Amino acid sequence: MELAIGIILGCCALGAGMAMIAGIGPGIGEGNAVASACEAIGRQPESQGNVTTTMLMGCAIAETTGLYALVIAILLIFLAPGRFVNILVETMNNIK
Amino acid sequence: MQSTEVISVNLWQMLISLLNLLILFLILKKFMYKPVKKTLAERQKLIDERFENAQKAQSDADSAKSEYESKLANADSEAADIIKAARAKAERKSEKIVSSAKSKADDILRQAQTDAELEKKKAEADIKNEITEVSSLLTEKLLGREINAADHRDFINSFIEKIGEEND
Amino acid sequence: MKSETKSRSKAFKAVDFLLLACAVIPYIFGIALYVLIKPPSSGIEITGAKILFTIDMPLQSLPITESQVNSWIVIVTIFFLCLYLTHGISAAQPTARQHLAEWIVEKTENLVKNNMGEFFDGFAPFVAAIMGLSAFSSLLTLVGLFPPTSDLNVVGGWAVLVFILITHYKMKCGLLHYIKSFGDPVPLLAPLNVISEIATPVSMAFRHYGNVLSGSVISVLVAVGLQGLSKIVLGKLPGFIGEFPLLQIGLPAVLSVYFDIFSGCLQAFIFAMLTMLYISTGFPSEDYRAKLMKKEKN
Repeated sequence: MELAIGIILGCCALGAGMAMIAGIGPGIGEGNAVASACEAIGRQPESQGNVTTTMLMGCAIAETTGLYALVIAILLIFLAPGRFVNILVETMNNIK
Repeated sequence: MQSTEVISVNLWQMLISLLNLLILFLILKKFMYKPVKKTLAERQKLIDERFENAQKAQSDADSAKSEYESKLANADSEAADIIKAARAKAERKSEKIVSSAKSKADDILRQAQTDAELEKKKAEADIKNEITEVSSLLTEKLLGREINAADHRDFINSFIEKIGEEND
Repeated sequence: MKSETKSRSKAFKAVDFLLLACAVIPYIFGIALYVLIKPPSSGIEITGAKILFTIDMPLQSLPITESQVNSWIVIVTIFFLCLYLTHGISAAQPTARQHLAEWIVEKTENLVKNNMGEFFDGFAPFVAAIMGLSAFSSLLTLVGLFPPTSDLNVVGGWAVLVFILITHYKMKCGLLHYIKSFGDPVPLLAPLNVISEIATPVSMAFRHYGNVLSGSVISVLVAVGLQGLSKIVLGKLPGFIGEFPLLQIGLPAVLSVYFDIFSGCLQAFIFAMLTMLYISTGFPSEDYRAKLMKKEKN
């Protein structure tokens, strides 16, 4: 029983950590976006305001996937262990 | 004190927050946008009015200016007319003076000429008389006898005339 | 200008002061409530909003939590700020606060005009409401209160409202037109279109919620980590210095500037921008214009 609970907790933590691998994607994407924005501002300094606003918008949208991963990770850390342990206890009681 | 889960879905809470947003929307519309827009419209009206007034004043000033300018131009032309008239008058006068002076001078000249001619004629007649007298005296003396002056006068006169013709 | 402010009556100033006080008092109330309900134990604790009391409702019981109370605090504050900004408004002699109010109004109207085009004239107050509510809610962390935007239900409710608006404007050309728009390129893609339609409010809600929550989570983790670090490094020193978490000074403040102020305001702006873009791009403006023309002909 304790072993099972330990496995559940460990796997939840592991899953959360693996979910956050998705943070790589937005990192690369936003880096690209900022690089392009810097280039654009260097080419046309007078359009700095527009470029900055658009870049922030794009960054925020590109961040969405990373935030999905974050939400999954938070679920796995704060919500999932309790649920899974409850399910485990219930099934054990049923078997008994 | 209990607390909700980090992620929890509750329909009523969602409804409450939806209504919150709607209420804030209405608050902003009623207490922020309505008065501010009203003031902006009022200010626009005020500016329009002032602009209109300014334009009116401008047009008034323009018309007054054009009036003065036309008056000024009229005055110029009047002055020019007056000067022209005065000049013409003066010219006429001077012409008159000059012509009268000329005519007077002509008169004087003519008078002088006639006088001179008369003098000349008189002098000629005098000289003639003297010449006849002298010649008659001379002939009297030369011939020793009295010549009838009356007889010889015609002869001498013809002689003198002949000399005058030859001289001429 | 100065003589104008000097010549104002005392009653005017008193009303001013009262309005400002009414805008500040809710914060004091919120902080007092927070201190009262704060559990004695503190430490690493990442939870949702604290439940004040629960009302039984059909379908699902409604817990009134900190996030609801804090939203109401924000709404009351914004309401009194509006009253303060437009108090003594006049066309002839604008004051500094009136300039601020006009600036806000003109900026939001220009933003709406540039991003949404015609047919959406009345959207400026809505966009301003989203921005104000979201930004003020996120900035509540500065006074130590629970930010309502890190509660999924709050931003979820806003997203649902945005979804209702999107659908409403898509249905302007009739229900049939709306249903037809799902099979737009090929009728085979209709299920995907439905999913993308539903994904819009979900992604909006999760984006805002995730950003604010990740900020607070990271802030808590950094604070706790620094506390532990200072206990390890400085714990052997005698007396007061050993107990005092010296390393906690500095870094959390910098993180707070980024996560609370910058990220909060940016997320408010992005939520408003996405609202405008989704509504205006979903709206079939050309078909609607054709419909209006037809109506005028008839």
